[in-house]
Amino acid sequence: MSDTDPSADRLDYVAWADRLRDGELLGQECAECGHTTAAPKAACVRCGSRTLAAVTLPTDGIVHSETTIGVPPEGFDGEYQVAVVRLGDAKVLGRIDGAVDIGDRVSFADVLVADDHPAPVFEPV
Amino acid sequence: MARATIVGAGMTNFGVHERPLPDLFADAAFDAFDDAGVASPEIEALYVGNAMGGMTENDTHLAPTLASHIGCPGVPAQRFEDACATSATAFKHAVEAVESGRHDVVLAGGVERCTPETGLDTAAMTRVFVSAAHRQYEQPAGLTFPGVFALLTKRHMHEYGTTEEHLAEVAVKNHFNGTLNPRAHFGRETSVEKVLDSPIVADPFHLMDCCPFSDGASGIVVASEAAAESFDHPVDVAGVGHATDVVPLADKTDLPATQAARDAASQAYGQANTTADAIDFAEIHDCFTGAEVMATEALGLFEDGAGGPAAAAGRTALDGEVPVNPSGGLKAKGHPIGATGTAQLVELTEQLRGEAGERQLDDPERAVAHNLGGDAATTVVTVMEARQ
Ligand SMILES: [Zn+2]
Repeated sequence: MSDTDPSADRLDYVAWADRLRDGELLGQECAECGHTTAAPKAACVRCGSRTLAAVTLPTDGIVHSETTIGVPPEGFDGEYQVAVVRLGDAKVLGRIDGAVDIGDRVSFADVLVADDHPAPVFEPV
Repeated sequence: MARATIVGAGMTNFGVHERPLPDLFADAAFDAFDDAGVASPEIEALYVGNAMGGMTENDTHLAPTLASHIGCPGVPAQRFEDACATSATAFKHAVEAVESGRHDVVLAGGVERCTPETGLDTAAMTRVFVSAAHRQYEQPAGLTFPGVFALLTKRHMHEYGTTEEHLAEVAVKNHFNGTLNPRAHFGRETSVEKVLDSPIVADPFHLMDCCPFSDGASGIVVASEAAAESFDHPVDVAGVGHATDVVPLADKTDLPATQAARDAASQAYGQANTTADAIDFAEIHDCFTGAEVMATEALGLFEDGAGGPAAAAGRTALDGEVPVNPSGGLKAKGHPIGATGTAQLVELTEQLRGEAGERQLDDPERAVAHNLGGDAATTVVTVMEARQ
């Protein structure tokens, strides 16, 4: 067992969510292979390295895919649009404020909190 | 040489059932036992799938409960949960158990209730289903399961020109096939117009692009190649591939590729020493019409981007070059989550034996089943062959 907390420097979910609530969208970049993700993990999904640096993701991106939810789950009121947004080398799922198609430019605009979990909100630019 | 054999197959009707999970499962298990000609004490182990009973019915630790209920107390029994691929992964473990020599004859199966018989309405059940999406990175945005497959399918439409009409043709085909399956949840035909006129669940999916909430159970008696000699109608399990992909879906490299299906198919075809060209028909996980289109491509039945036009041209119909979902698929047969994977194998078994009644295909020799879970991040592909 190591004498230091191996997760001390890692961007974990709690830290990611706190920063998102404060209006900053963080991701992770792998020091070994350079893979970038918007959904922080305990090890790199491409190479397995645990040396992952927190990075601030670009706030402007491109809609990679989208759908308008007509039948929402309990706790949500429809209808609304969700999208996979490409931010630099990473992709992130978020809510859309407005209406977008694939290929449209969007910008990180707000944060939605559902059941105490934050999600990024994007709007067309 | 086959990895294992299926010597008995059974299932309940899929639809709405008042009966709780143990009674439903017993109906399917005994149907499979009677088909195989085995009694409960001959079953050496139980591999059972149930995805959501803890959330929907406050019912967990099901494996020994179900083993006890069907006269198999004391055997090693285990319950699997891999979202909609739950009973295919249970089956995979059953295959490995007889292949390794650990057991000779075992039961694999699944059981689930998803209709309002559980006491849950559509919004509550929609929330239960989305538990299979990432809790931290997907659920907070208000994603739903139709939404997950809508995101994959919209990208497919963008890249390849797949249309809503192509998708609707999948529903029309599967509903027609369901009219020939007495165990199907839906026994009525539909039309492209009716599909496109039905309300939007998550665009591009209309209500009629989506499989129903169903209750039901299925069971498969799996025997080793050596043990199969003492059964009347064994069918060979030539290959079982199982692969996963990255979660959440935004981290997937290529959304419409459904890469886990490609990896699982490659494993299964390799084990069976066969190729997609030699597949006579397929049971495919058409939870949404777009899922069937993407799967026909991932399995290599059609080139990438050709799946939608192929369905629209009738190439996957009962009389087409490679029939897909002769059972009616999830779309018409129904989708009791944890029972779906082994129910696909019931259809493969019956078709390969020539016992599929009105929907019987013309002397098929080799078939593939594709069962996915979650955002297609779990996929199990099984190749089965008629005994020569
Ligand atoms: Zn890496």
